[in-house]
Amino acid sequence: MYSFGESKKGRVLVAMSGGVDSSVAAALLVEQGYDVIGATMQVWDYSNTSCDLSKGGRATIEGHGTCCSSTDVDDARAVADQLGIPFYVINCEAKFQAYVIDDFIGSYLEGRTPIPCSNCNTYLKFDHLLQKMRELECDYIATGHYARMERDGDRYKLISSADNIKDQTYFLFTLPQEILRHILFPVGHLTKSDVRALAESKGLPVARKKDSTGICFIGPGGYSSFIEQHVAKDLLKPGLLKLYPSGEVLGEHSGIHNFTYGQRKGIGVAAGRPLFVIKIDPATHEVWLGDEEHLFSKNLTVRRSNWLTPIREGEEYSVKIRFQHRGALARVKKIRGDEVDVEFLESQRAITPGQAAVFYSGRQLIGGGWIQ
Amino acid sequence: MLKPVYLDHNSTTPLDADLKLQLMDWIESWGNPSSIHWAGRGPKALIRNARRNLAQMIGCEPLEIVFTSGGSEANNLAIKGLLPVHPRGERKRILISAVEHPSVFKTAHAMTARGYQVDLIPVNRDGRMDLERLDQLLSEKTALVSVMLANNETGHLFPVREIAKKAHEAGALVHCDAVQALGKIPVDVRELGVDAASFSGHKFYSLKGAGALYVRRGMNLESLIHGGGQERGRRAGTENTLSIAALGFMCARWEKVGLEADRLTRLRDEMESRILREIPDVTISGRDGNRLPNTSNMNISGVDGETLLMNLDVQGFAVSTGAACSSGNPEPSPVLLAMGFTRAEAQSSLRLSLGWGNTQEDIDRFVEALKNIVTRLRGFRSSESQVHYV
Repeated sequence: MYSFGESKKGRVLVAMSGGVDSSVAAALLVEQGYDVIGATMQVWDYSNTSCDLSKGGRATIEGHGTCCSSTDVDDARAVADQLGIPFYVINCEAKFQAYVIDDFIGSYLEGRTPIPCSNCNTYLKFDHLLQKMRELECDYIATGHYARMERDGDRYKLISSADNIKDQTYFLFTLPQEILRHILFPVGHLTKSDVRALAESKGLPVARKKDSTGICFIGPGGYSSFIEQHVAKDLLKPGLLKLYPSGEVLGEHSGIHNFTYGQRKGIGVAAGRPLFVIKIDPATHEVWLGDEEHLFSKNLTVRRSNWLTPIREGEEYSVKIRFQHRGALARVKKIRGDEVDVEFLESQRAITPGQAAVFYSGRQLIGGGWIQ
Repeated sequence: MLKPVYLDHNSTTPLDADLKLQLMDWIESWGNPSSIHWAGRGPKALIRNARRNLAQMIGCEPLEIVFTSGGSEANNLAIKGLLPVHPRGERKRILISAVEHPSVFKTAHAMTARGYQVDLIPVNRDGRMDLERLDQLLSEKTALVSVMLANNETGHLFPVREIAKKAHEAGALVHCDAVQALGKIPVDVRELGVDAASFSGHKFYSLKGAGALYVRRGMNLESLIHGGGQERGRRAGTENTLSIAALGFMCARWEKVGLEADRLTRLRDEMESRILREIPDVTISGRDGNRLPNTSNMNISGVDGETLLMNLDVQGFAVSTGAACSSGNPEPSPVLLAMGFTRAEAQSSLRLSLGWGNTQEDIDRFVEALKNIVTRLRGFRSSESQVHYV
């Protein structure tokens, strides 16, 4: 007999990556009595990057099978089967290409350091998948993010995870209230080790699976070789390496996509003292190097900002300028539409265009925007 | 709680209830059918009976049947097995329809590596095969013509008898993929006049793992699998006794096949009429032509087939679409594209294939569910901008 669709708690579409966090999220929702549908977003053909091309691992001949494709979809399906929930693979490759990959490549070519995970959340998980949620008559969408949701009247607050190291609220600042009300974060109140222990105790097949680290579509060759593979050669222009602030030419480089603000290693210049990337100029293709002291600054401007709780000029927040940043106190100086000027109380190292500045009040996420 | 409804019988079928009761007895026939001693006799007899039953059902001699692991192997065996030992070996052209199953389509194209060339016979949106084009393509260079009897996605039937006649006149061999036809409509290989034909057990309420290739007596056939002398050296390997016996058991049930064909035709036709009446902007492919009794392929304008499938699935209805792929790659069906449907049309198509277990109540519930889901999904399309789609 068929009993799906009879839960009083409602129906949830859970985004399952095949990793341990979203697997435990799905298991918890089933345990809590929801009707749960699992879905994996097929976002990128990994077969190019997941195995060594030089060893002839990739099959290109029709009828000749390939050994190397991601097992993540299979893992997610195995978990869904074990939980006894319907599971579907939803193709998002075109959208992922347009909103995540193209933006990622474009950012590096313009001297910025992008955060593909935020775009994936904004345009894939909480847009494309949200549409699927509606189409499948689900009440909620759930993910394995380390973030907590709290209801405050008719508004929702995002609270950082119980696991300070895993907290992923930084990647979620773009979400508006009308989407937040549909989101569940079943593992947000847990730490990573809690989640692993739960996966073990529930006997989930992914309990001991290695955490994915870094950017999902970047292979072992690193991001600059990814860009070189996916961009026409003439867009990767060589340029000069200059000493800041004197302008003395120190050498040449093969493209600004190889650099990020604050970078020290792999610059290709021996100066007898440590030099850091101070500034990347996409107009002239120049990369300015200098002493670490020049990396520090107090001011930044964000654009395309989104606020879960309204902010006012003069207020102070703890602002994170990259995922790994611990957050530093800063004052809101000027608000012009979705553009906001911010001044830190103390200078911050390597404020990097393309990254997000995300504002917190204690553990509560206030909002954020993209650093210019 | 409601009974789930299975409307995907062209994909596979549930086991016949009477067959299920037999299987436990047959499991005891574990011996090797090739053994001379007592343990081999039971299984040998099961296979012998199965061969006789299938031969009777399709109108051939028992020794003209080669048991295989299924329909795909039978199609591979026909193409890869007939061509290298072709009586007119200088002929290097293969002619297949544009809507063949991948196990014919890809096998034929794999032969290009051995110097063959593949030409396609076009099929239009209503499932009509272009026989004029066939006439143009047939020549003294044609080695093999392979055309299916019934299409798996649309249920359209093709004039295999007429095609075989033309092909033989041109001196070509003829193979017919009859996998979707067996158990749904009468199949008589002599009447069709083909040299080889493929069959499968699991499309016929039987077990997976057994199929067969009919090969006309006197034809040369090169084995794909070399080894022991099973199947007169045409298919080595210890036989899948249980699955073969099951296929044979079903072949003795030709009376039921006839009764169900009539019943399913009525059920399907009424279902289609109701859908056309109650859901706007639905078109059914080849409704006026010859079709299998159980199959209906429809285009539901403005509705994504995959989303429709998921919605039906969570309500307990199993169907299939023109873009089905478990890996999530919604490439539209090459068959529908070959018939001239656009990508969008193929992606909003739905295949329903009824079977022996379906009742009027199943169909009533299904149409009701379909109507509600289509109305709801179409509502999204008009009220919400799909702005982010690229």
